Amino acid sequence: MPTQPNEHSRSDLAIETRGLTKRFGARAAIDGVDLRVPRASAFGFLGPNGAGKTTMIRTLLGLTSASEGSMAILGLPVPAERARALRDVGAIVEEPRFHGHLTGRENLRIIAAARGPEVDARIAPALARVGLADRADEKVKRYSLGMRQRLGVARCLLADPQLLILDEPTNGLDPAGIQEFREMIRSLVEEEGRTVFLSSHLLDEVERICDAAAIVDRGHVVSQGPIAELAGEGARNELIVGVDSPEDALALLARSELVREAARSDEGLRVVLAGEHDSAAAVNAMLVQAGVGVLRLEPVRHSLERRFLEITARLDEPEPTAVESEVGA
Amino acid sequence: MSAAIASRMVRADLLKLRKKPGTVIWSFVLALAPLLIFFIVRAAQHSSNPAEHPPAGGADGFVDALRILAAFFGPLAAIMIGAEGGAGDVASGVFRDLVVTGRSRVALFMTRVPAALALTWVVTCAGYALLAIGTFALASGSPTPSASQMLNGLVFSLFSTSVICIVAVGLAALTASRPATLTVLIGWHLVASPILGSISSLGSSRKLILNQGVNHFSPVRLGEHNANVAMGGTTAVIVVLVWLALFTALGAWRTRTMDA
Repeated sequence: MPTQPNEHSRSDLAIETRGLTKRFGARAAIDGVDLRVPRASAFGFLGPNGAGKTTMIRTLLGLTSASEGSMAILGLPVPAERARALRDVGAIVEEPRFHGHLTGRENLRIIAAARGPEVDARIAPALARVGLADRADEKVKRYSLGMRQRLGVARCLLADPQLLILDEPTNGLDPAGIQEFREMIRSLVEEEGRTVFLSSHLLDEVERICDAAAIVDRGHVVSQGPIAELAGEGARNELIVGVDSPEDALALLARSELVREAARSDEGLRVVLAGEHDSAAAVNAMLVQAGVGVLRLEPVRHSLERRFLEITARLDEPEPTAVESEVGA
Repeated sequence: MSAAIASRMVRADLLKLRKKPGTVIWSFVLALAPLLIFFIVRAAQHSSNPAEHPPAGGADGFVDALRILAAFFGPLAAIMIGAEGGAGDVASGVFRDLVVTGRSRVALFMTRVPAALALTWVVTCAGYALLAIGTFALASGSPTPSASQMLNGLVFSLFSTSVICIVAVGLAALTASRPATLTVLIGWHLVASPILGSISSLGSSRKLILNQGVNHFSPVRLGEHNANVAMGGTTAVIVVLVWLALFTALGAWRTRTMDA
Protein backbone atom coordinates (compact mmCIF):
# COMPACT_ATOMS: atom_id res chain seq x y z
CA MET A 1 0.00 0.00 0.00
CA PRO A 2 1.27 3.48 -0.69
CA THR A 3 1.95 5.69 2.26
CA GLN A 4 -0.92 7.93 3.24
CA PRO A 5 -0.95 11.38 1.71
CA ASN A 6 0.34 13.99 4.08
CA GLU A 7 -2.01 16.61 5.41
CA HIS A 8 -1.09 19.07 2.70
CA SER A 9 -2.06 16.72 -0.08
CA ARG A 10 -5.56 15.63 0.81
CA SER A 11 -7.05 16.62 -2.49
CA ASP A 12 -9.46 14.28 -4.22
CA LEU A 13 -7.50 14.85 -7.36
CA ALA A 14 -4.16 13.28 -8.09
CA ILE A 15 -3.52 15.75 -10.91
CA GLU A 16 -5.23 19.03 -11.58
CA THR A 17 -4.24 21.53 -14.22
CA ARG A 18 -5.81 24.81 -15.19
CA GLY A 19 -5.05 26.49 -18.46
CA LEU A 20 -1.75 24.65 -18.68
CA THR A 21 0.18 25.74 -21.73
CA LYS A 22 3.62 24.88 -23.02
CA ARG A 23 4.95 26.71 -26.03
CA PHE A 24 8.02 25.94 -28.08
CA GLY A 25 8.54 29.22 -29.87
CA ALA A 26 5.26 30.15 -31.51
CA ARG A 27 3.91 26.60 -31.42
CA ALA A 28 1.86 25.47 -28.44
CA ALA A 29 2.50 21.79 -27.75
CA ILE A 30 -0.18 21.88 -25.05
CA ASP A 31 -2.64 24.70 -25.00
CA GLY A 32 -4.87 25.69 -22.11
CA VAL A 33 -5.26 22.18 -20.75
CA ASP A 34 -7.69 21.71 -17.85
CA LEU A 35 -7.24 18.22 -16.52
CA ARG A 36 -8.74 16.55 -13.46
CA VAL A 37 -7.43 13.11 -12.59
CA PRO A 38 -9.23 11.51 -9.65
CA ARG A 39 -7.24 9.62 -7.04
CA ALA A 40 -7.19 5.82 -6.92
CA SER A 41 -8.07 5.45 -10.57
CA ALA A 42 -6.36 4.50 -13.79
CA PHE A 43 -6.59 7.51 -16.05
CA GLY A 44 -5.76 7.38 -19.73
CA PHE A 45 -4.31 10.32 -21.60
CA LEU A 46 -5.22 9.36 -25.09
CA GLY A 47 -4.13 11.01 -28.28
CA PRO A 48 -2.46 10.40 -31.60
CA ASN A 49 1.29 10.75 -31.98
CA GLY A 50 2.30 14.38 -31.70
CA ALA A 51 -0.84 15.41 -29.81
CA GLY A 52 1.16 16.69 -26.83
CA LYS A 53 0.97 13.74 -24.46
CA THR A 54 4.65 13.53 -23.63
CA THR A 55 4.97 17.30 -23.36
CA MET A 56 2.11 17.25 -20.88
CA ILE A 57 3.86 14.63 -18.78
CA ARG A 58 7.19 16.40 -18.97
CA THR A 59 5.55 19.64 -17.87
CA LEU A 60 3.75 17.97 -14.97
CA LEU A 61 7.00 16.46 -13.76
CA GLY A 62 8.98 19.66 -14.04
CA LEU A 63 11.24 18.28 -16.75
CA THR A 64 10.32 21.35 -18.74
CA SER A 65 8.72 24.53 -17.49
CA ALA A 66 5.14 25.54 -18.25
CA SER A 67 4.56 28.68 -20.28
CA GLU A 68 1.22 29.46 -18.63
CA GLY A 69 -1.35 28.01 -16.31
CA SER A 70 -1.25 26.24 -12.98
CA MET A 71 -0.99 22.64 -11.89
CA ALA A 72 -1.14 20.58 -8.74
CA ILE A 73 0.09 17.06 -8.11
CA LEU A 74 -1.42 15.19 -5.19
CA GLY A 75 -2.86 18.46 -4.00
CA LEU A 76 0.46 20.26 -3.95
CA PRO A 77 1.03 23.21 -6.26
CA VAL A 78 3.78 22.64 -8.76
CA PRO A 79 6.44 23.97 -9.23
CA ALA A 80 6.22 25.70 -5.83
CA GLU A 81 6.02 22.38 -3.94
CA ARG A 82 7.51 20.24 -6.64
CA ALA A 83 10.01 18.39 -4.48
CA ARG A 84 7.37 17.36 -1.94
CA ALA A 85 4.88 16.41 -4.62
CA LEU A 86 7.35 14.24 -6.52
CA ARG A 87 8.35 12.36 -3.40
CA ASP A 88 5.17 10.32 -3.89
CA VAL A 89 5.32 10.08 -7.68
CA GLY A 90 6.91 7.46 -9.90
CA ALA A 91 7.21 8.11 -13.60
CA ILE A 92 8.36 6.67 -16.87
CA VAL A 93 8.82 9.32 -19.52
CA GLU A 94 9.11 8.05 -23.09
CA GLU A 95 11.35 5.00 -23.36
CA PRO A 96 12.84 4.09 -19.98
CA ARG A 97 16.57 4.82 -20.01
CA PHE A 98 19.29 3.43 -17.79
CA HIS A 99 23.03 3.29 -17.37
CA GLY A 100 23.71 0.31 -19.61
CA HIS A 101 27.03 -0.48 -17.95
CA LEU A 102 25.33 -1.00 -14.59
CA THR A 103 23.12 -3.87 -13.52
CA GLY A 104 19.40 -3.49 -13.02
CA ARG A 105 19.86 -3.48 -9.26
CA GLU A 106 22.63 -0.87 -9.44
CA ASN A 107 20.45 1.37 -11.59
CA LEU A 108 17.78 1.21 -8.92
CA ARG A 109 20.39 1.98 -6.26
CA ILE A 110 21.23 5.20 -8.14
CA ILE A 111 17.63 6.37 -7.91
CA ALA A 112 17.24 5.09 -4.35
CA ALA A 113 20.24 7.20 -3.33
CA ALA A 114 18.49 10.32 -4.58
CA ARG A 115 15.16 9.44 -2.99
CA GLY A 116 16.38 8.64 0.51
CA PRO A 117 17.77 5.88 2.72
CA GLU A 118 14.38 4.28 3.37
CA VAL A 119 14.11 3.44 -0.33
CA ASP A 120 16.91 0.84 -0.31
CA ALA A 121 14.58 -1.67 1.30
CA ARG A 122 12.16 -1.34 -1.63
CA ILE A 123 14.66 -2.37 -4.32
CA ALA A 124 14.31 -6.13 -3.95
CA PRO A 125 10.49 -6.12 -3.67
CA ALA A 126 10.21 -3.82 -6.68
CA LEU A 127 12.41 -6.11 -8.77
CA ALA A 128 10.38 -9.11 -7.66
CA ARG A 129 7.14 -7.33 -8.42
CA VAL A 130 8.09 -6.82 -12.06
CA GLY A 131 9.59 -10.29 -12.44
CA LEU A 132 13.21 -9.21 -12.69
CA ALA A 133 14.58 -10.63 -9.45
CA ASP A 134 16.51 -13.33 -11.29
CA ARG A 135 18.02 -10.96 -13.83
CA ALA A 136 18.65 -8.01 -11.52
CA ASP A 137 22.40 -8.51 -11.43
CA GLU A 138 22.85 -8.53 -15.19
CA LYS A 139 24.00 -5.41 -16.95
CA VAL A 140 21.10 -3.44 -18.38
CA LYS A 141 22.73 -3.24 -21.80
CA ARG A 142 21.87 -6.94 -22.12
CA TYR A 143 18.19 -6.37 -21.29
CA SER A 144 15.50 -6.54 -23.94
CA LEU A 145 13.22 -3.53 -24.38
CA GLY A 146 10.51 -5.39 -22.50
CA MET A 147 12.85 -5.99 -19.56
CA ARG A 148 13.78 -2.32 -19.57
CA GLN A 149 10.11 -1.41 -19.43
CA ARG A 150 9.73 -3.67 -16.40
CA LEU A 151 12.79 -2.17 -14.80
CA GLY A 152 11.28 1.25 -15.48
CA VAL A 153 8.17 0.24 -13.58
CA ALA A 154 10.35 -1.10 -10.75
CA ARG A 155 12.10 2.26 -10.66
CA CYS A 156 8.69 3.93 -10.31
CA LEU A 157 7.74 1.64 -7.45
CA LEU A 158 10.80 2.70 -5.47
CA ALA A 159 8.94 5.87 -4.59
CA ASP A 160 6.10 3.82 -3.08
CA PRO A 161 4.10 6.18 -5.25
CA GLN A 162 0.61 7.41 -4.70
CA LEU A 163 0.73 8.46 -8.34
CA LEU A 164 2.38 6.66 -11.25
CA ILE A 165 2.81 8.59 -14.47
CA LEU A 166 3.52 6.26 -17.37
CA ASP A 167 4.21 7.42 -20.90
CA GLU A 168 3.34 4.78 -23.51
CA PRO A 169 4.26 2.04 -21.03
CA THR A 170 3.50 -1.02 -23.13
CA ASN A 171 5.83 -0.06 -25.97
CA GLY A 172 8.14 -2.98 -26.60
CA LEU A 173 6.23 -5.50 -24.52
CA ASP A 174 5.16 -8.79 -26.07
CA PRO A 175 1.48 -9.80 -25.83
CA ALA A 176 2.04 -11.78 -22.65
CA GLY A 177 3.96 -8.86 -21.18
CA ILE A 178 1.17 -6.46 -22.11
CA GLN A 179 -1.38 -8.67 -20.41
CA GLU A 180 0.79 -8.91 -17.30
CA PHE A 181 1.27 -5.18 -17.36
CA ARG A 182 -2.46 -4.53 -17.55
CA GLU A 183 -3.06 -6.80 -14.60
CA MET A 184 -0.34 -5.08 -12.65
CA ILE A 185 -1.81 -1.64 -13.31
CA ARG A 186 -5.27 -2.78 -12.27
CA SER A 187 -3.80 -4.33 -9.15
CA LEU A 188 -1.96 -1.11 -8.30
CA VAL A 189 -5.23 0.79 -8.58
CA GLU A 190 -7.79 -1.64 -7.17
CA GLU A 191 -5.80 -3.41 -4.48
CA GLU A 192 -3.35 -0.75 -3.47
CA GLY A 193 -5.33 2.42 -4.07
CA ARG A 194 -2.68 4.09 -6.22
CA THR A 195 -3.43 6.44 -9.09
CA VAL A 196 -2.07 5.61 -12.52
CA PHE A 197 -1.88 8.30 -15.20
CA LEU A 198 -1.14 6.55 -18.44
CA SER A 199 -0.54 8.18 -21.79
CA SER A 200 -1.11 6.13 -24.88
CA HIS A 201 -2.08 6.25 -28.50
CA LEU A 202 -3.43 2.70 -28.17
CA LEU A 203 -7.18 2.90 -27.75
CA ASP A 204 -7.61 -0.71 -26.78
CA GLU A 205 -5.01 -0.33 -24.06
CA VAL A 206 -6.72 2.66 -22.50
CA GLU A 207 -10.16 1.10 -22.79
CA ARG A 208 -9.02 -2.09 -21.07
CA ILE A 209 -6.90 -0.56 -18.34
CA CYS A 210 -8.41 2.78 -17.48
CA ASP A 211 -11.44 3.92 -15.55
CA ALA A 212 -11.42 7.37 -17.09
CA ALA A 213 -9.57 9.16 -19.83
CA ALA A 214 -8.93 12.42 -21.54
CA ILE A 215 -8.68 12.65 -25.30
CA VAL A 216 -6.06 15.09 -26.44
CA ASP A 217 -5.76 16.50 -29.91
CA ARG A 218 -3.24 19.11 -31.05
CA GLY A 219 -2.46 20.09 -27.48
CA HIS A 220 -6.10 20.53 -26.46
CA VAL A 221 -8.06 18.21 -24.21
CA VAL A 222 -11.09 17.57 -26.38
CA SER A 223 -13.03 15.46 -23.94
CA GLN A 224 -12.52 13.79 -20.57
CA GLY A 225 -14.49 11.61 -18.23
CA PRO A 226 -15.25 7.97 -17.45
CA ILE A 227 -14.49 5.62 -20.34
CA ALA A 228 -18.11 4.59 -20.81
CA GLU A 229 -19.25 8.19 -21.00
CA LEU A 230 -16.49 9.11 -23.39
CA ALA A 231 -17.29 6.22 -25.68
CA GLY A 232 -20.99 6.96 -25.70
CA GLU A 233 -20.65 10.71 -25.83
CA GLY A 234 -22.41 12.03 -28.93
CA ALA A 235 -23.12 8.53 -30.10
CA ARG A 236 -26.33 7.48 -31.80
CA ASN A 237 -28.59 4.88 -30.26
CA GLU A 238 -28.26 2.04 -32.74
CA LEU A 239 -29.39 -1.56 -33.04
CA ILE A 240 -28.45 -4.44 -35.27
CA VAL A 241 -31.66 -6.35 -36.00
CA GLY A 242 -31.75 -9.79 -37.61
CA VAL A 243 -35.14 -10.67 -39.12
CA ASP A 244 -36.63 -13.39 -41.33
CA SER A 245 -38.11 -10.89 -43.83
CA PRO A 246 -35.94 -7.82 -44.19
CA GLU A 247 -38.09 -6.08 -46.80
CA ASP A 248 -41.19 -6.19 -44.61
CA ALA A 249 -39.22 -5.11 -41.60
CA LEU A 250 -37.65 -2.16 -43.42
CA ALA A 251 -41.08 -1.02 -44.56
CA LEU A 252 -42.40 -1.16 -41.01
CA LEU A 253 -39.40 0.57 -39.55
CA ALA A 254 -39.55 3.35 -42.12
CA ARG A 255 -43.08 4.20 -40.99
CA SER A 256 -42.34 3.99 -37.26
CA GLU A 257 -41.86 7.08 -35.11
CA LEU A 258 -39.50 5.05 -32.96
CA VAL A 259 -36.95 4.89 -35.74
CA ARG A 260 -34.90 7.69 -37.18
CA GLU A 261 -33.37 5.60 -39.96
CA ALA A 262 -32.98 1.97 -40.97
CA ALA A 263 -30.90 0.29 -43.64
CA ARG A 264 -29.48 -3.05 -44.61
CA SER A 265 -25.98 -3.89 -43.49
CA ASP A 266 -23.75 -6.96 -43.60
CA GLU A 267 -24.83 -7.88 -40.11
CA GLY A 268 -28.58 -7.38 -40.64
CA LEU A 269 -30.64 -4.25 -40.43
CA ARG A 270 -28.91 -1.30 -38.87
CA VAL A 271 -31.53 0.73 -37.05
CA VAL A 272 -30.97 4.17 -35.58
CA LEU A 273 -33.51 4.81 -32.85
CA ALA A 274 -35.15 8.15 -32.42
CA GLY A 275 -35.44 7.84 -28.65
CA GLU A 276 -33.71 6.16 -25.71
CA HIS A 277 -32.56 2.57 -25.34
CA ASP A 278 -35.99 1.62 -23.97
CA SER A 279 -37.40 2.02 -27.46
CA ALA A 280 -35.45 -1.07 -28.57
CA ALA A 281 -38.04 -3.22 -26.77
CA ALA A 282 -40.82 -1.31 -28.49
CA VAL A 283 -39.22 -1.86 -31.89
CA ASN A 284 -38.98 -5.58 -31.12
CA ALA A 285 -42.65 -5.72 -30.11
CA MET A 286 -43.72 -3.80 -33.20
CA LEU A 287 -41.91 -6.19 -35.55
CA VAL A 288 -43.19 -9.31 -33.77
CA GLN A 289 -46.78 -8.01 -33.70
CA ALA A 290 -46.54 -7.39 -37.48
CA GLY A 291 -45.53 -11.00 -37.98
CA VAL A 292 -41.83 -10.40 -38.64
CA GLY A 293 -39.63 -13.00 -36.97
CA VAL A 294 -36.87 -11.30 -34.96
CA LEU A 295 -33.79 -13.50 -34.93
CA ARG A 296 -31.43 -11.07 -33.28
CA LEU A 297 -31.58 -7.65 -31.68
CA GLU A 298 -28.34 -6.23 -30.43
CA PRO A 299 -27.40 -2.73 -29.33
CA VAL A 300 -24.39 -1.38 -31.17
CA ARG A 301 -21.56 -0.94 -28.66
CA HIS A 302 -19.90 2.41 -29.13
CA SER A 303 -16.24 1.95 -28.38
CA LEU A 304 -13.71 4.50 -27.35
CA GLU A 305 -12.03 3.74 -30.63
CA ARG A 306 -15.00 5.02 -32.58
CA ARG A 307 -15.13 8.20 -30.53
CA PHE A 308 -11.39 8.66 -30.79
CA LEU A 309 -11.43 8.22 -34.53
CA GLU A 310 -14.28 10.69 -34.88
CA ILE A 311 -12.17 13.26 -33.12
CA THR A 312 -8.82 12.52 -34.62
CA ALA A 313 -10.18 12.19 -38.15
CA ARG A 314 -10.12 15.95 -38.10
CA LEU A 315 -6.36 15.84 -37.88
CA ASP A 316 -6.16 15.75 -41.64
CA GLU A 317 -8.14 18.94 -41.84
CA PRO A 318 -6.19 22.19 -41.71
CA GLU A 319 -6.34 24.00 -38.40
CA PRO A 320 -8.99 26.73 -38.46
CA THR A 321 -7.74 30.27 -38.53
CA ALA A 322 -8.60 32.56 -35.67
CA VAL A 323 -11.39 34.19 -37.72
CA GLU A 324 -12.87 30.81 -38.63
CA SER A 325 -12.73 29.73 -34.98
CA GLU A 326 -14.65 32.78 -33.88
CA VAL A 327 -17.27 32.27 -36.59
CA GLY A 328 -17.54 28.63 -35.60
CA ALA A 329 -17.94 29.54 -31.96
CA MET B 1 19.55 18.03 1.67
CA SER B 2 21.09 16.18 4.60
CA ALA B 3 24.74 15.13 4.68
CA ALA B 4 23.65 11.49 4.71
CA ILE B 5 21.70 11.85 1.47
CA ALA B 6 24.50 13.89 -0.10
CA SER B 7 26.93 11.13 0.83
CA ARG B 8 24.65 8.47 -0.69
CA MET B 9 24.31 10.48 -3.89
CA VAL B 10 28.07 10.96 -4.15
CA ARG B 11 28.56 7.21 -3.71
CA ALA B 12 25.94 6.58 -6.38
CA ASP B 13 27.72 8.96 -8.76
CA LEU B 14 31.02 7.25 -7.98
CA LEU B 15 29.41 3.88 -8.70
CA LYS B 16 28.44 5.10 -12.18
CA LEU B 17 32.00 6.27 -12.81
CA ARG B 18 33.99 3.40 -11.41
CA LYS B 19 31.89 0.84 -13.26
CA LYS B 20 32.34 2.60 -16.59
CA PRO B 21 35.05 0.44 -18.15
CA GLY B 22 36.09 2.81 -20.93
CA THR B 23 36.55 5.76 -18.62
CA VAL B 24 38.38 3.82 -15.91
CA ILE B 25 40.69 1.87 -18.23
CA TRP B 26 41.66 4.86 -20.35
CA SER B 27 42.19 7.05 -17.31
CA PHE B 28 44.61 4.55 -15.85
CA VAL B 29 46.29 4.11 -19.23
CA LEU B 30 46.78 7.88 -19.52
CA ALA B 31 48.13 8.15 -15.99
CA LEU B 32 50.41 5.10 -16.08
CA ALA B 33 51.46 4.31 -19.65
CA PRO B 34 53.41 7.53 -20.42
CA LEU B 35 55.29 7.23 -17.12
CA LEU B 36 56.04 3.60 -17.79
CA ILE B 37 57.30 4.38 -21.27
CA PHE B 38 59.36 7.28 -19.92
CA PHE B 39 61.09 5.15 -17.29
CA ILE B 40 61.68 2.22 -19.65
CA VAL B 41 63.19 4.40 -22.38
CA ARG B 42 65.31 6.43 -19.96
CA ALA B 43 66.51 3.27 -18.19
CA ALA B 44 67.45 1.70 -21.52
CA GLN B 45 69.30 4.84 -22.61
CA HIS B 46 71.12 5.05 -19.31
CA SER B 47 72.13 1.42 -19.34
CA SER B 48 73.42 1.70 -22.91
CA ASN B 49 75.39 4.92 -22.31
CA PRO B 50 75.55 6.04 -18.66
CA ALA B 51 77.94 8.85 -19.44
CA GLU B 52 75.61 10.61 -21.83
CA HIS B 53 72.23 9.67 -20.36
CA PRO B 54 71.41 10.26 -16.69
CA PRO B 55 69.57 7.64 -14.65
CA ALA B 56 65.86 7.25 -15.32
CA GLY B 57 65.07 7.87 -11.68
CA GLY B 58 66.62 10.11 -9.06
CA ALA B 59 65.94 13.82 -8.69
CA ASP B 60 66.18 14.51 -12.43
CA GLY B 61 63.89 11.67 -13.32
CA PHE B 62 61.46 12.84 -10.65
CA VAL B 63 61.16 16.29 -12.23
CA ASP B 64 60.52 14.92 -15.70
CA ALA B 65 58.12 12.28 -14.43
CA LEU B 66 56.20 14.85 -12.40
CA ARG B 67 55.93 17.00 -15.51
CA ILE B 68 54.47 14.03 -17.37
CA LEU B 69 52.01 13.12 -14.65
CA ALA B 70 50.95 16.46 -13.17
CA ALA B 71 51.18 18.74 -16.18
CA PHE B 72 50.16 16.58 -19.12
CA PHE B 73 48.73 13.11 -18.84
CA GLY B 74 47.23 13.24 -15.34
CA PRO B 75 45.07 16.20 -16.35
CA LEU B 76 44.03 14.33 -19.49
CA ALA B 77 42.82 11.45 -17.33
CA ALA B 78 41.04 13.95 -15.10
CA ILE B 79 39.35 15.53 -18.12
CA MET B 80 38.05 12.12 -19.19
CA ILE B 81 36.67 11.43 -15.75
CA GLY B 82 35.19 14.90 -15.34
CA ALA B 83 33.53 14.77 -18.76
CA GLU B 84 31.93 11.44 -17.93
CA GLY B 85 30.89 12.64 -14.49
CA GLY B 86 29.38 15.86 -15.79
CA ALA B 87 27.53 14.54 -18.83
CA GLY B 88 27.02 10.85 -18.07
CA ASP B 89 23.47 11.16 -16.75
CA VAL B 90 22.32 13.26 -19.68
CA ALA B 91 24.08 11.03 -22.22
CA SER B 92 22.47 7.90 -20.83
CA GLY B 93 19.05 9.56 -20.55
CA VAL B 94 18.84 8.96 -16.81
CA PHE B 95 18.98 12.62 -15.88
CA ARG B 96 15.23 13.06 -16.22
CA ASP B 97 14.63 10.09 -13.92
CA LEU B 98 16.84 11.72 -11.32
CA VAL B 99 14.93 14.97 -11.73
CA VAL B 100 11.65 13.09 -11.22
CA THR B 101 12.83 12.05 -7.75
CA GLY B 102 12.20 15.65 -6.75
CA ARG B 103 15.80 16.11 -5.68
CA SER B 104 17.19 19.57 -6.38
CA ARG B 105 18.90 19.80 -9.74
CA VAL B 106 21.73 21.79 -8.23
CA ALA B 107 22.25 18.97 -5.73
CA LEU B 108 22.30 16.50 -8.62
CA PHE B 109 25.08 18.55 -10.19
CA MET B 110 27.06 19.20 -7.06
CA THR B 111 27.30 15.54 -6.04
CA ARG B 112 28.98 14.75 -9.35
CA VAL B 113 31.99 16.85 -8.40
CA PRO B 114 33.25 14.86 -5.38
CA ALA B 115 32.50 11.59 -7.17
CA ALA B 116 34.62 12.62 -10.16
CA LEU B 117 37.32 13.90 -7.82
CA ALA B 118 37.40 10.63 -5.92
CA LEU B 119 38.11 8.61 -9.05
CA THR B 120 40.58 11.23 -10.27
CA TRP B 121 42.49 10.96 -7.00
CA VAL B 122 42.66 7.18 -7.24
CA VAL B 123 44.03 7.39 -10.77
CA THR B 124 46.45 10.17 -9.86
CA CYS B 125 47.68 8.29 -6.81
CA ALA B 126 48.26 5.20 -8.92
CA GLY B 127 50.28 7.28 -11.35
CA TYR B 128 52.21 8.86 -8.51
CA ALA B 129 52.96 5.47 -7.00
CA LEU B 130 54.53 4.43 -10.30
CA LEU B 131 56.43 7.74 -10.36
CA ALA B 132 57.77 7.12 -6.88
CA ILE B 133 58.80 3.57 -7.68
CA GLY B 134 60.60 4.67 -10.83
CA THR B 135 62.24 7.62 -9.08
CA PHE B 136 63.79 5.48 -6.37
CA ALA B 137 64.23 2.12 -8.10
CA LEU B 138 65.95 3.63 -11.13
CA ALA B 139 68.06 6.23 -9.32
CA SER B 140 71.28 4.25 -9.97
CA GLY B 141 73.03 5.95 -7.07
CA SER B 142 72.10 9.49 -8.07
CA PRO B 143 70.50 11.85 -5.52
CA THR B 144 66.83 11.19 -4.87
CA PRO B 145 64.07 13.65 -3.87
CA SER B 146 63.48 14.25 -0.20
CA ALA B 147 60.34 13.08 1.55
CA SER B 148 58.97 16.62 1.55
CA GLN B 149 59.63 16.96 -2.18
CA MET B 150 57.83 13.69 -2.77
CA LEU B 151 54.91 14.86 -0.65
CA ASN B 152 54.79 18.22 -2.44
CA GLY B 153 54.84 16.41 -5.75
CA LEU B 154 51.89 14.28 -4.72
CA VAL B 155 49.92 17.25 -3.45
CA PHE B 156 50.62 19.18 -6.63
CA SER B 157 49.63 16.22 -8.82
CA LEU B 158 46.35 15.91 -6.95
CA PHE B 159 45.83 19.66 -7.13
CA SER B 160 46.45 20.00 -10.85
CA THR B 161 44.27 17.02 -11.78
CA SER B 162 41.51 18.06 -9.37
CA VAL B 163 41.27 21.57 -10.80
CA ILE B 164 40.92 20.41 -14.39
CA CYS B 165 38.54 17.63 -13.31
CA ILE B 166 36.17 20.15 -11.71
CA VAL B 167 36.38 22.38 -14.77
CA ALA B 168 35.55 19.33 -16.92
CA VAL B 169 32.53 18.43 -14.78
CA GLY B 170 31.23 21.98 -15.13
CA LEU B 171 31.88 22.20 -18.85
CA ALA B 172 30.33 18.78 -19.48
CA ALA B 173 27.21 19.77 -17.56
CA LEU B 174 27.12 23.04 -19.50
CA THR B 175 27.43 21.42 -22.93
CA ALA B 176 25.66 18.17 -21.95
CA SER B 177 28.16 16.51 -24.27
CA ARG B 178 31.16 14.34 -23.46
CA PRO B 179 32.71 14.59 -26.95
CA ALA B 180 32.46 18.38 -26.97
CA THR B 181 33.96 18.60 -23.50
CA LEU B 182 36.81 16.26 -24.32
CA THR B 183 37.60 18.08 -27.55
CA VAL B 184 37.51 21.55 -26.04
CA LEU B 185 39.43 20.78 -22.88
CA ILE B 186 42.06 18.53 -24.40
CA GLY B 187 42.59 21.10 -27.14
CA TRP B 188 42.81 23.83 -24.54
CA HIS B 189 45.12 21.90 -22.27
CA LEU B 190 47.51 20.47 -24.84
CA VAL B 191 47.48 23.09 -27.58
CA ALA B 192 45.93 26.43 -26.75
CA SER B 193 47.28 26.94 -23.23
CA PRO B 194 50.96 26.27 -24.07
CA ILE B 195 50.76 28.40 -27.20
CA LEU B 196 49.08 31.31 -25.47
CA GLY B 197 51.45 31.01 -22.54
CA SER B 198 54.46 31.31 -24.81
CA ILE B 199 53.26 34.44 -26.61
CA SER B 200 55.13 37.02 -24.61
CA SER B 201 53.36 39.90 -26.32
CA LEU B 202 50.22 38.91 -24.41
CA GLY B 203 52.05 40.08 -21.31
CA SER B 204 50.35 39.76 -17.95
CA SER B 205 47.02 38.77 -19.50
CA ARG B 206 48.55 35.29 -19.71
CA LYS B 207 48.02 35.07 -15.98
CA LEU B 208 44.37 34.37 -16.74
CA ILE B 209 45.29 31.03 -18.31
CA LEU B 210 44.34 28.24 -15.92
CA ASN B 211 47.56 26.28 -16.41
CA GLN B 212 49.60 29.33 -15.47
CA GLY B 213 47.80 29.64 -12.19
CA VAL B 214 48.03 25.91 -11.46
CA ASN B 215 51.69 25.63 -12.45
CA HIS B 216 52.57 28.40 -10.03
CA PHE B 217 52.15 25.85 -7.24
CA SER B 218 54.40 23.24 -8.82
CA PRO B 219 57.35 22.16 -6.65
CA VAL B 220 59.42 21.84 -9.83
CA ARG B 221 59.69 24.06 -12.90
CA LEU B 222 57.18 22.94 -15.51
CA GLY B 223 57.44 23.76 -19.21
CA GLU B 224 59.82 25.99 -21.08
CA HIS B 225 61.20 29.11 -19.48
CA ASN B 226 59.19 31.53 -21.61
CA ALA B 227 55.99 29.50 -21.22
CA ASN B 228 55.73 30.30 -17.54
CA VAL B 229 54.33 33.66 -16.50
CA ALA B 230 55.56 35.03 -13.21
CA MET B 231 52.73 35.77 -10.79
CA GLY B 232 52.21 36.07 -7.09
CA GLY B 233 50.64 33.35 -4.98
CA THR B 234 47.51 35.39 -4.35
CA THR B 235 47.03 36.02 -8.05
CA ALA B 236 47.49 32.34 -8.79
CA VAL B 237 44.94 31.39 -6.14
CA ILE B 238 42.47 33.92 -7.55
CA VAL B 239 42.98 32.69 -11.12
CA VAL B 240 42.35 29.09 -10.11
CA LEU B 241 39.35 29.97 -7.94
CA VAL B 242 37.78 32.07 -10.69
CA TRP B 243 38.07 29.19 -13.16
CA LEU B 244 36.59 26.76 -10.64
CA ALA B 245 33.79 29.09 -9.62
CA LEU B 246 32.97 30.00 -13.21
CA PHE B 247 32.67 26.45 -14.52
CA THR B 248 30.95 25.16 -11.40
CA ALA B 249 28.40 27.95 -11.63
CA LEU B 250 27.86 27.41 -15.36
CA GLY B 251 27.41 23.67 -14.87
CA ALA B 252 24.99 24.15 -11.99
CA TRP B 253 23.04 26.80 -13.90
CA ARG B 254 22.69 24.63 -16.97
CA THR B 255 21.69 21.59 -14.92
CA ARG B 256 19.06 23.66 -13.13
CA THR B 257 17.56 25.23 -16.22
CA MET B 258 17.84 22.64 -18.98
CA ASP B 259 14.88 20.64 -20.26
CA ALA B 260 15.35 17.13 -18.93
